[in-house]
Amino acid sequence: MAGLGKFLVRRGLTFVPTLIGVTLIVFIIAYVIPANPVRAWAGGEKATQAAVELIKAEYHLNQPWYDQYTFLIRGLFTNSLLDPLNQVPVFTNIGNRFVVTFQLALFAFFFVVLIGLPLGIISALKRNSITDMILRILALVFISTPIYVMAYLFIWVFFIHWNLTTLAGIPPAPPHQITHIPVIDSILTLNWGSFMEQVHRYWLPGFTLGIAAAGVLMRFTRNSFLEAYSRDSTLFLKAKGVPKSRLYRHVLKNALVPVITILALQFGGLLAGTPITETIFNLPGIGLYALQSVMYLDFPALIGVTFLYAIVFVTANLVADILYALVDPRVRF
Amino acid sequence: MGDGTKESKESYEGREEYEMSILDRVSDRLIDGLAVFINLFKKDWRRRNQSKIQEWKLMAYALNRSPPALLGLVIVVAYIIFGIVGPYLASWPYDFFPVMYNSTSRLAAPGSNVFLNVTMVKNWHVIHYTTTVHYPIGSDLFGRDLLSVLLAGARTALVLDVFIIMIGPTFGIMLGLIAGYHGGAVDETIMRITDMFLAFPGLILAIALSAVLPGRIQNFLNYHAFAQTLVLKLFALQPRDVNNLGKLLAVFVALIIVWWPGYTRITRGSTLTERENLYVEAARAIGLPSRTIMFRHILPNIIGPILVMITMDFGNVILTEAGLSFLGLGAVPPIPDWGNLINQGAQYFPQAWWLVAFPGIVIVTVVLGWNLLGDGLRDILDPRTRRSMEFKVKKKRGAEGGESNA
Repeated sequence: MAGLGKFLVRRGLTFVPTLIGVTLIVFIIAYVIPANPVRAWAGGEKATQAAVELIKAEYHLNQPWYDQYTFLIRGLFTNSLLDPLNQVPVFTNIGNRFVVTFQLALFAFFFVVLIGLPLGIISALKRNSITDMILRILALVFISTPIYVMAYLFIWVFFIHWNLTTLAGIPPAPPHQITHIPVIDSILTLNWGSFMEQVHRYWLPGFTLGIAAAGVLMRFTRNSFLEAYSRDSTLFLKAKGVPKSRLYRHVLKNALVPVITILALQFGGLLAGTPITETIFNLPGIGLYALQSVMYLDFPALIGVTFLYAIVFVTANLVADILYALVDPRVRF
Repeated sequence: MGDGTKESKESYEGREEYEMSILDRVSDRLIDGLAVFINLFKKDWRRRNQSKIQEWKLMAYALNRSPPALLGLVIVVAYIIFGIVGPYLASWPYDFFPVMYNSTSRLAAPGSNVFLNVTMVKNWHVIHYTTTVHYPIGSDLFGRDLLSVLLAGARTALVLDVFIIMIGPTFGIMLGLIAGYHGGAVDETIMRITDMFLAFPGLILAIALSAVLPGRIQNFLNYHAFAQTLVLKLFALQPRDVNNLGKLLAVFVALIIVWWPGYTRITRGSTLTERENLYVEAARAIGLPSRTIMFRHILPNIIGPILVMITMDFGNVILTEAGLSFLGLGAVPPIPDWGNLINQGAQYFPQAWWLVAFPGIVIVTVVLGWNLLGDGLRDILDPRTRRSMEFKVKKKRGAEGGESNA
């Protein structure tokens, strides 16, 4: 853990420029747009000139670019920037939707760990056997299948055939809120009815979203296990005559160090990778919000969403680094 | 990650004898042929690069001994061939819409036949004819034969794939080399910019870009006749589709912008360790320009893992591109595109299951092929695998030589 404080300060210092850069990139993209977003925001072709001018003044669109940019950023920080489509502050919109995305990512993460870790370990334990070959190809198939093809296959099997899930609406949150994530709240308040409702709605999108990441995790776990197995310490244990089960326990401990850090990164990736899943399963989350903001040229919203994504990614990286130091005391920053 | 070499070593050691298979002979012939071909242009190339040719042969042997990689290679080669000749193999042109003449051809089920009474204008003449369309795997919203559209779509996928990988990663590798080799302020600047691009999800950036860019690209194409013809030829499209190119090329540009930062980071990392080696110092000492050192000396030594990544990214580009088309960005209907077919089918799922199933199978197969090949390359490009192959080949040759002498 040596130098963790220093490392955090350094990270914090690079964090701000990264955020500014990310928002600038999006801003430039929005700035070069040839279409006239104001007319769309004002209500299409029928909008009066006066309304258009009003909106232009409100969003500083007739000011130079740096003024527009600072207006957007200041608006984001004070949460006074209104989404032109529903006149609600952008971060309030994002907050409402983030709950859905976070819960989706939680379910996906559950499946990633449930599928990826055991299968990866089995594949490593039975290396170079038929089981291993099948599992490796299975992992590659998981990675190679587009999420929408997987989603429709699962919808066909689990919704149309067996009717094990529902695709409409969002179940209400349990009455007593602690963390504001419905599924966690319902566990904490022991409200099983609400919990089952949430699971019923979310398990299939989570499964679909998680399966590709599970493939990645399978491969990573297998490699990491074999790497740990080929160390000298393993040879020593073997020479000492340690029984296989205990030998594997030692190897597993070493192998899981990199796996834990990749899990943190994967959670960040799951949070960001939701647009297609949310579109298919009608979940009103961040990904869908980002998609819609692109479609409707709603750039205040888009900048808000990318801002959030950047924070999520950088935080996931940071958590991965810190976890690495926690599980492996030899790491120095 | 070290596993590949280990396991391959084990399996090779398990095999006592090294038998030349038919595949080995074929690959030997191919490589010899290639060497003769290069020799035509570069004098004495073959003699001077004997060791290189030997290495290539060993790589081919390693490939021949890994069935998944071979399967991947077969799929990839098939994909490339279909990408080149696919549009000419299609039995119906992609821009012929049977639904205009018979509405039952819309979303026709696999195996059905539809009778058409066609009235069309060709060369200023109105022509009538009747024909029957057979749909082996169904039709799409416009009554087009799905098989033909899939074949034509192979070209779209291949061209996007190849050009995106040719431009994006190359740019990323160059930046990474420069950052890693020079260090200091250059490194810091390049890496901070790379971090910004890495800090938000590629899909969102690609979505934003492909929503913003089409207008500008379309403008550019409309003013540059040469670029227009070139693009139409590349994608094997008819001239009247020229106004749909903007959206297609927007995805192309968007994916290039998304695809370089990963390569910059990985190249910089390996350049940093590689430049500490003595040979780099020696090259610098004799006064070679930095450019030569970077591209001629460092790059070949670090290219292995990057090549694996490139191979796998050929598949990932297809996935992302089809994902964008699925979301309604990118290729628009008359242009044949796999992702767009799934987008059409999604609205009529599960009635029109074939519109999701068959393009889905095609995409999965191709992406799996690239991934299998990439996985295999990881072992093949590992020098340790080659050394163990070489050892076995020499042992075998020695044994044979001994017999013939006796």
